[in-house]
Amino acid sequence: MTLVTSTSAEVDVGAPASNERGSLSAYVLLAPAVIWMTLFLVVPMAMIIYVSFWTQTTFKIEPRLTLDSWQTFFSSDAYLSSLWTTLRIWLIVLVTTFVVGYPTAIYVGLFVRNKTLQTSLLVLCVIPFWTSFLIRVLAWRPMLGKEGAINIILMKAGIITQPIEALLFTDLSVVIGMTQIYVVFMVGPIAFMLGRIDPNILEAARDLGADFWRILRKIIFPLSLPGVVVGAIFVSVMVLGEFATSAALSGRKVNLLGNIIVTQVGSLKWALASVVGVILTAIMALVIAGLLRVVDLKKEL
Amino acid sequence: MIMAMATSEIVTMQDGSSIVVLDEALLRLEGITKLFAGRSALSDVRFSVTGNEYISLLGPSGSGKTTLLRAIAGFETPDSGRIFFEGADVTRKPAHRRGIGFVFQNFALFPHLSVFDNVAFGLRNRAEPFPEDVVLSRVKETIDLVGLKGLERRGVHQISGGQKQRVALARTLVTKPKLVLLDEPLGALDANLRQRMRTELRRIREALDIPFLHVTGSETEALSMGDRLIVLDAGRIGQYGKPDEVYASPATANVARFLNRYNVFAGTIENDGFTTKYGRFDYGTRTPASERAYAIRYDRLSVTPSGGAAPAKLAASYVASEYLGSAMVHFFETADGKVVEVEHHLSFGPPEAFEPGRSYDLSWNPQDGIAFG
Repeated sequence: MTLVTSTSAEVDVGAPASNERGSLSAYVLLAPAVIWMTLFLVVPMAMIIYVSFWTQTTFKIEPRLTLDSWQTFFSSDAYLSSLWTTLRIWLIVLVTTFVVGYPTAIYVGLFVRNKTLQTSLLVLCVIPFWTSFLIRVLAWRPMLGKEGAINIILMKAGIITQPIEALLFTDLSVVIGMTQIYVVFMVGPIAFMLGRIDPNILEAARDLGADFWRILRKIIFPLSLPGVVVGAIFVSVMVLGEFATSAALSGRKVNLLGNIIVTQVGSLKWALASVVGVILTAIMALVIAGLLRVVDLKKEL
Repeated sequence: MIMAMATSEIVTMQDGSSIVVLDEALLRLEGITKLFAGRSALSDVRFSVTGNEYISLLGPSGSGKTTLLRAIAGFETPDSGRIFFEGADVTRKPAHRRGIGFVFQNFALFPHLSVFDNVAFGLRNRAEPFPEDVVLSRVKETIDLVGLKGLERRGVHQISGGQKQRVALARTLVTKPKLVLLDEPLGALDANLRQRMRTELRRIREALDIPFLHVTGSETEALSMGDRLIVLDAGRIGQYGKPDEVYASPATANVARFLNRYNVFAGTIENDGFTTKYGRFDYGTRTPASERAYAIRYDRLSVTPSGGAAPAKLAASYVASEYLGSAMVHFFETADGKVVEVEHHLSFGPPEAFEPGRSYDLSWNPQDGIAFG
């Protein structure tokens, strides 16, 4: 009995001390991440917001606070239309990557049950990334051009008599290019979620009389939703910040917010570039926050 | 012993044509054979299920019991043989049109749906869904039957293993199947719960009055639950009968082994005795079988000091004992390393203490011995 009391007393004394040690080491462990995030995310973000209010003259930029750059952006049709173009292209690419990516993911994650083959197929999706981004984008030019591969094939096959000019240097070519580049970011997370579905669940649904489309709608899609959301976040973040694909495939006809930043920075107009940067970041934050409301990723993954 | 046989008859009509007269069996399997990667998982399985009974299908792992169950359910197509259900050939009929319910080993509940929606799934998502008021009343009725009242709104991650088991059962029962197949339904539960679910499963079956076919690797589960017992041995039916018949007179040496209640010795048989390398033993029963073996139940053996004069005995040294509450199991080892088990019921008196490593005589009444071959 005495022994028991003395041990429990020891534990009581020991507990607060170890708690303090625990919280101290927790701070130490947390510090690198906090410092990193502060230096490379919080400070630069604050700088961009700050600079967006600076006074821009033709040759220099002064830290005198003004709303001029913001007024320039919101009073210019060109800038506003590029904002709408960015949102339009983003939504279209989000839909096309989903439409192309989901069936691909279903095939890889659900119908291919052989793990080796599954991995090989996913690697196959990633192989285009072994070449440079610009080469991948520019490779679409000889494909889509007036005398490009697609037009030649269609004409040789007698399907068309005149080459289709709308293929290159339009919204369409930008969407095609972006879909091809970013679809893999949609396929990956969805295939991962689908691969985790217990095949017995699908058999059970089948046994209970549900046909393929019902199983897809009621079981497969809801269970893959976290993958769709993660894929949509990847694609959104990348497409919203895009400028190279539209520059290379639209013949400068499609101007995204990213393109404006590139031009403004090129002509040393830091204040306006910062305004666009802040707007773009705000849109991304809204999109991600909205997507995260769809599913509780912490719970699902 | 009741051997499973196809009982349909071919009757020749007066005009010379013949028709097949189907028997009363609800389910009948004729020569089901299935190969997996060239290895036979099922070979020539034939049996029929007639009455409204609880049938246990006992087999060790790899005996093909899950494959057999999946073939009956319609998840696997046999390479040859036919399956008749309610008198019709359903061998190639898809699973959901057979009217056979299947309860998966790991429950396979829909993780994103509530208990209610899991149970309602089969009613709402069939080719012609039921109206919502029918769904409501039938789901409620089934949930009451399996004892899940009050948990309807819970997610399936928020309930215990035993409750998941009940959801899996309810999800199948709500579709009113005419036969329910259960694939090791108690395997994922802990021992205490398993005991309770055994009684529950039997109660639910009796309330519904439809046959349950329950696959298990546990001989105690198979013996205690089944009104009838099928023993599967390497893809074949080893024995089909009432549990007490199977227990008292196994049809083959392997069936005796699976029951886990028999010491089995190899040897050769003559008219008046069975010769093993431990000696020559008389037997009470002789069962024709391809594998020659001599079987004696654990609880028929008694331990005596070395050098006695019992009519059937073998010498073995004591290894260890295991206390089971109502009985004590003693493990002995023969000179060539074969383990022989002796069960002593504690109602017959306190267990004796044996000295590890010392040799004893294990003796029995030869009338209790079964000779196969």
